[in-house]
Amino acid sequence: MVECLAGKKVLTKGNYAIANAAVIAGCDCYFGYPITPQSEIGEFMSGKMQELKKAYVSAESELAAINMALGACATGKKAMTSSSSCAVSLMQEALSYATSDELPIVLVSVMRCGPGLGNIFPSQGDYNQSTIGGGDGDYKVIVLSPSNVQEAVDLTYKAFYLAQKYRNPVILLADGLLGQMMEPVEFSEYPYPEIDNSSWALSGAKGRAARIIRSYSPTEDFQCEHIRHLFKKYRIIQENEVMFEELYTEDADIVVFSFGSLSRNVKATVKNLRAEGLKVGFFRPITLFPFPDKRISEIADRVDKFLTIEVNMGQMVRDIKLAVNGKIPVEFFGKPVGSWPSVEDIEVAIKGAMS
Amino acid sequence: METQVFKVPDSFKKDFKYTFCPGCDHGIAIRLVGEVMDELGIRENTIAATSIGCSVTIYDFLDMDSIEAPHGRALAVATGVKRANPDKFVFTYSGDGDFASIGIAESLHTALRGESISSICINNTTYGMTGGQLGPTTLMGQITTTSPTGRNVEYYGYPVKIAEHIALCDGTAFSARVSLDTIANIKKAKQAIKKAFEVQLQGLGFGFVEILSTCPTNWHMSPEQAHERVRNEMMPVFVPGVYKDVTNI
Amino acid sequence: MEKNFVIAGFGGQGVLLAGEVLANAFMLDNKNVTWYPSYGAEMRGGTVNCEVVMSDDEVSSVNKKEADYVIVLNQASFDKFECKVKKGGYLIVNTSLAEQKENRADIHYIYAPISKMAVDLGNVKMANMLALGILLKVGGFLSVDILEKALDVVLPVHRKNLLPLNKNAMEIGYKYDLLVAGC
Repeated sequence: MVECLAGKKVLTKGNYAIANAAVIAGCDCYFGYPITPQSEIGEFMSGKMQELKKAYVSAESELAAINMALGACATGKKAMTSSSSCAVSLMQEALSYATSDELPIVLVSVMRCGPGLGNIFPSQGDYNQSTIGGGDGDYKVIVLSPSNVQEAVDLTYKAFYLAQKYRNPVILLADGLLGQMMEPVEFSEYPYPEIDNSSWALSGAKGRAARIIRSYSPTEDFQCEHIRHLFKKYRIIQENEVMFEELYTEDADIVVFSFGSLSRNVKATVKNLRAEGLKVGFFRPITLFPFPDKRISEIADRVDKFLTIEVNMGQMVRDIKLAVNGKIPVEFFGKPVGSWPSVEDIEVAIKGAMS
Repeated sequence: METQVFKVPDSFKKDFKYTFCPGCDHGIAIRLVGEVMDELGIRENTIAATSIGCSVTIYDFLDMDSIEAPHGRALAVATGVKRANPDKFVFTYSGDGDFASIGIAESLHTALRGESISSICINNTTYGMTGGQLGPTTLMGQITTTSPTGRNVEYYGYPVKIAEHIALCDGTAFSARVSLDTIANIKKAKQAIKKAFEVQLQGLGFGFVEILSTCPTNWHMSPEQAHERVRNEMMPVFVPGVYKDVTNI
Repeated sequence: MEKNFVIAGFGGQGVLLAGEVLANAFMLDNKNVTWYPSYGAEMRGGTVNCEVVMSDDEVSSVNKKEADYVIVLNQASFDKFECKVKKGGYLIVNTSLAEQKENRADIHYIYAPISKMAVDLGNVKMANMLALGILLKVGGFLSVDILEKALDVVLPVHRKNLLPLNKNAMEIGYKYDLLVAGC
């Protein structure tokens, strides 16, 4: 396995690609517990981190794994954990703490299907888990959604950068298909500047006042101020970090939305329909938080209808509807879990929505 | 001639305020930790992971960097801190609920991995901060707000003997149980804390001290009665002693 | 243009590796490509398979309903995938382990005793590379040369000694006098 080979493509499995990208991004510590379909990430890291004399722990649980990452991040180190669906559920508490503590944990979440144990079938059922979350209190986690292996690599770099830049946890939300597939990727050097965290990281109270990283709040006023501070930061993230992919929306009668690796099937279908002369557009949010609601609202001003396609019972569609705010109809096509809808299935759905 | 016989440890914050209930042993335990930090000269190199419960306020007393872990996760957080910074002195200070109930998996696994971390657990047979409920160390027959007729096996099972469990882990370098009911025992307690810290500095593995402690408020006792209870009811069940010491083999 | 391939057999026949070699070959030929293994429910039923999708544009999707080319190395795979060959597509059948039987009139059947050929070559594990050689001959979309380079990329260092044997298998497959049935 390569570390950094700029200018050369290597056929790489999604999970390995993410892990290798994390190493290139300067990940100092990996903590994890196995779960299909992301176990290759921990397997890769177990060897690579030891080779590089960096921290690796086979944690006793996902609870422990993400809290180890919390501890490492508190000292200013780049720490990462990875997991999937039902086990990411166990990490919600620590994500809530990390947002309040303002600690830059990177969590790679490779979706399988729930609820409960579910199975390893492909699914996009964790959109809500990632963007809304199940932790307590008012908080936001940055969520990046790649659609192919190269983008998974690029967004892994970005995940570390944004986490450091905003002192906020970042979820790289992949899925089982993306984790298991191999595609040619180029591992460039880490393209972002390193962030100086010496003003807050724990390093021992030598020659300075002691630092306490905590989410405990002594007074109502203190907590109000703290949450306002967090939301001010979230607003800055919303203003500066939105990413999306948009195609043929200028003259479209209908725009079709999807996220993650499923959006490739959708985009291919939209291209086919364009070739048939149908005025169909395509839109893929790459950042699920910050959500591109401003751009979606603009498009809604000149399009008749939106269609959202997901492999779940309708999760991102709620965010689309909020962005549209009733201006135009927003339809949904999906299935609970399983193989992504084929180009043929999606074509029928789009044509149905247009009629 | 005047001789100073007692002083606040140098490792304490200059402006700390005593916030524990009268007669609570947390104050003594934290002072001992401060004295050991002074003697080993480690304050400036220390990162502590605290937990949830009365024990968390240790960061209001000791002038050290610290992170407050979610409930039960102190040793997972400490593991992350230590693995990321092997040159730092890392310790946890938690109650029995945090260490041996909600966090027993993290505690045992940290010992099993032999992490170079020191850990102090305050055993007062109850959940203090939440108002005196039954905890993992509540004695048989003990009345608490969630064992109104006393702890029985049928509903609650048995209390956990923490120091013995930790001693069984191969990665443990030192495990002891101490009490703070007499001057002599306080001195022994300090020695144990120092040993638990030293095994980390020597890279020998996990160092652990369970401190039998009072909770006069929730026990509904005077400080004096509380220490008698430690002596008469707790010590026969939770027997003080060194259960493992790899430096002494 | 997008084309997709399925390689199927039982565990140990090297179908995932064959797919990886094919995918690497397309990458070396500057095509976009995705390799996707049997996963989830697809893993049940005694067969292992992988899909390779090659495209001049972005690869649209994996786990497609039908494939342009399918290689089946055993009977279970034949039974499962015969119906998933695209109309006018090709089914390459290992007759050493699967019946020579056409249930469809709208696809091409290519027959070869692939396992026997591998044994004749001295190693039954060469069946996967023989099959790739045959696939190349049928499809004509890559040179054997690129396939051999791809093999070099895929084989780990401690297996490089098997390179000549594998290359030989590919070449024998490529030169095999095809037995074609169907449309």
